[in-house]
Amino acid sequence: MSLSLFVQLLVNALTIGSIYVLMVLGLDIILRGTKILNFAHGQLYMLGAYVMFLFFQALHWNFLLSLALTGLALGLVGMLIYLGVFATLARRFTPTTTFSYRLLLSAMASVGLMMILQQGTLLGFGTQERGIQPPFPQIIDSFGVRVSLMRLAIILASLVICVLLYLLMNKTSLGRLMRAVSYDPEAVTLQGVNTFWVFVFCFALGSALAGLAGGIIAPVFSVTPAMGQDVIFLSLLVLLVGGIGSYRGTIAGGLLIGLLLSFGFQLLGGVAELFVFMLVIVILIFKPGGMLGEAAE
Amino acid sequence: MKPLNKLTQGRGKKLLAAAVVLVALIILPLCIESDYVKHLLIMVCLGATLAMTFSMLFSTGLITLGAAAFYAVGAYASTLLVMNAGLSFWLALPLTLLAAAVLALGFGAIFVRNAGVAFVIITLIFAQVVVLAAGQLDFLGGWGGIIGIPRPDSIGPIQFTSKLSFYYLALAVLLLTALVFQALYSSRIGRAWRAIKLSPNLAGTLGINPYRYRVLAFVIASIVAALAGSVYAHYSQNITPDAFGGWLSIYIQLYAVLGGLEFYILGPVIGSLVMIFVPEYLRIMKEWEPIITGVLLLVIILFFPGGILGTVKDPPGLSLKKFHSLYNRLKTGKKLDKSS
Amino acid sequence: MPLLLVKNVTKVFGALIALRDVSFEVNRLEILGLIGPNGAGKSTLFNLISGFHRPDKGKILFKDTEITGLRVDRIAGMGIGRIFQEPTLFMQETVFENVFSGLHRHYREPAWKAFLHTRAANREEAVSREKAAEILEFMDLAAMRDELAANLPHGHQRSLAIAIALACEPELLLLDEPVTGMNPSETAVMSDKIRQIRERGITVLIVEHDMRAVMSLCDRIVVLNLGEKLVEGTPDRIKSDQRVIEAYLGKQVI
Repeated sequence: MSLSLFVQLLVNALTIGSIYVLMVLGLDIILRGTKILNFAHGQLYMLGAYVMFLFFQALHWNFLLSLALTGLALGLVGMLIYLGVFATLARRFTPTTTFSYRLLLSAMASVGLMMILQQGTLLGFGTQERGIQPPFPQIIDSFGVRVSLMRLAIILASLVICVLLYLLMNKTSLGRLMRAVSYDPEAVTLQGVNTFWVFVFCFALGSALAGLAGGIIAPVFSVTPAMGQDVIFLSLLVLLVGGIGSYRGTIAGGLLIGLLLSFGFQLLGGVAELFVFMLVIVILIFKPGGMLGEAAE
Repeated sequence: MKPLNKLTQGRGKKLLAAAVVLVALIILPLCIESDYVKHLLIMVCLGATLAMTFSMLFSTGLITLGAAAFYAVGAYASTLLVMNAGLSFWLALPLTLLAAAVLALGFGAIFVRNAGVAFVIITLIFAQVVVLAAGQLDFLGGWGGIIGIPRPDSIGPIQFTSKLSFYYLALAVLLLTALVFQALYSSRIGRAWRAIKLSPNLAGTLGINPYRYRVLAFVIASIVAALAGSVYAHYSQNITPDAFGGWLSIYIQLYAVLGGLEFYILGPVIGSLVMIFVPEYLRIMKEWEPIITGVLLLVIILFFPGGILGTVKDPPGLSLKKFHSLYNRLKTGKKLDKSS
Repeated sequence: MPLLLVKNVTKVFGALIALRDVSFEVNRLEILGLIGPNGAGKSTLFNLISGFHRPDKGKILFKDTEITGLRVDRIAGMGIGRIFQEPTLFMQETVFENVFSGLHRHYREPAWKAFLHTRAANREEAVSREKAAEILEFMDLAAMRDELAANLPHGHQRSLAIAIALACEPELLLLDEPVTGMNPSETAVMSDKIRQIRERGITVLIVEHDMRAVMSLCDRIVVLNLGEKLVEGTPDRIKSDQRVIEAYLGKQVI
């Protein structure tokens, strides 16, 4: 393998990996905060790509502004989804409702949303692929190694988002509140905090992250209704491998999967995905709770 | 009059009802001309069987999104044994079930260590692995699938060529599953499962090993799914990996939720009956089907979480209890008893 | 030979030393009280004995067999019953079903016979139904056998939790705050029940905050403070012990 190919594959891996990191951080924030396993997360990612297409390609707005607005728009979508569907569902639960029952009903509700969003987009926009003109089409060529600037920009943008998220979760009172709610919502309620809006915020934030992931990757991949379905399986896999409830694990898991897929496809072809799944099962044999997570119910 | 009296009470009543239903199920397809309706009935039997395996795992508090995985394992194993090893279907079937049991024990022992969310994800991924493996590995037929799978050999005068004969085969699978599952649910095994579902911690302090009981449920559910898969392969005569994809597991789950989650056996039957027949007769445009299914799913979960049977048994807003107290008040002419 | 022997047990959670080198024993057929201010490590100790946590150091022996680090259900199977501080019940089941589920450990017929509903298995099940009814009678819950556990008042939920534990026929019963929050007459009834439980041949280990109840009920008391054993002895000795009074200082309970 030539150095150029190696670096390209590495950049590729980091690009894919950082998208999965954003996706899975969103899934994990929603899961921990609201105890919803959101199968519609892939569709939020897809919507993010479409919104990005609207702002950046159709309206010709500035790239960063479009991206920020995409995040906001998907946050709003997430908020509406939570208020419309999951808040209604949560009112049906009593303190004696078993965990498995809550999990099942909320996951099924998200599957319903997934079907509606998926097919709705397909009917609305058709199966045609939409391309977004990359804002940074340059190729960096040094010492015979060619790297797309756009991909480097994506990695950088994901990194910035991760840092911002870290600051939000660890340095602000809202972040501390979110973490407290994820551990013990009742205790937080007893302290006189209205947890309802914390749940709403968790869901909106998670949705915004999915939207950002879709918006960031849109200039590299083409925008299609099917993109959400493809990404959700691997996102769930990363969630499992990294360990539910561990941000470090999520980041490590996302990058690991990116590396395996990028190099695997090059070396092995289509069977690579199968090997990745097998590897996950092997990891779970030795680390039932994921690489860095706690084995928690 | 005494024997008749006995039949209308308690156990006898149930047996009588079961006999009536059984006869109806046997006579039903004889009154139907359309082969297509018979095909749908066969799919209801197989779908209900699969949904029952979902319910069995749910009765232990586990949510599987991989019900289709062992359905696929059954279909492929049986197909390979018949087509490549040249075995008779009836010999391949027990071997298939054995293979499914061994696989389920191995994978179940790993998967079940994680309850809750992790189990949901890992079963979903496992189902995906099975589909990918079938598609990517050439000896499993690749993405094009396997065609020309032979029908089961005839047993004496019974030949498996018509839709009718397959209906009876699928019905036998369904009824056998229902019988076995009912026997499990009504025994201490079923009670242990329920205890684990309601409170794993309390179950542990009662000497119940949640892990072992959940693995048991996983293995039983997988064997039954493989049985259904095997029958499906030899009925449809061709299988493709896509037929066992992620949507199938979701639909299976939907059958169980729609019918009523608290009804481990009847729920899946009613749910699959409705989900398979109603869209056919509404003549919905294919492209709108996922949206309508999605909306239906949301409506059920948000407003009728008990499913069809749960809603019938305990209608929201007009519970049976309220009705009784109203009736008693009218009968006795008493005013509302404050203490009740 | 003591029924339960806790030997030099240490348990650390992160930076917090929950228990440090704690040793004591529970003799057959005594009622032993385990007291101490909040954060003394009482609940941790229960979790160690019943197998929910594993001690970092030390041993726990039950009937001369080491049970340190065994699985929860194994320890339960050896004859240690446990009720939780918060009533942990099968909330969506009836009172009777709760106790009936608790009888899991009773069955001698193999599981496949239960599955096939053989005559012997059915007979065994009929016996366990009677047994469940008897336990409900004993815990004064017979009148509400068909109520859902979730609908019971708090006091009855506690009785039910004990009834479920009794269904296991434990030799040692761990009770976590059985009378906390009860009024004096309820406390008297519950204390009386606990004595009757002992008369059934069951040794009782109690964690309790209600000092009056503990003093009147227990044969001996072990006092924990900040994860260490402070003192142990008869209620009279504990009452007058200066160190105990200091540990509880400002609480005005003794």
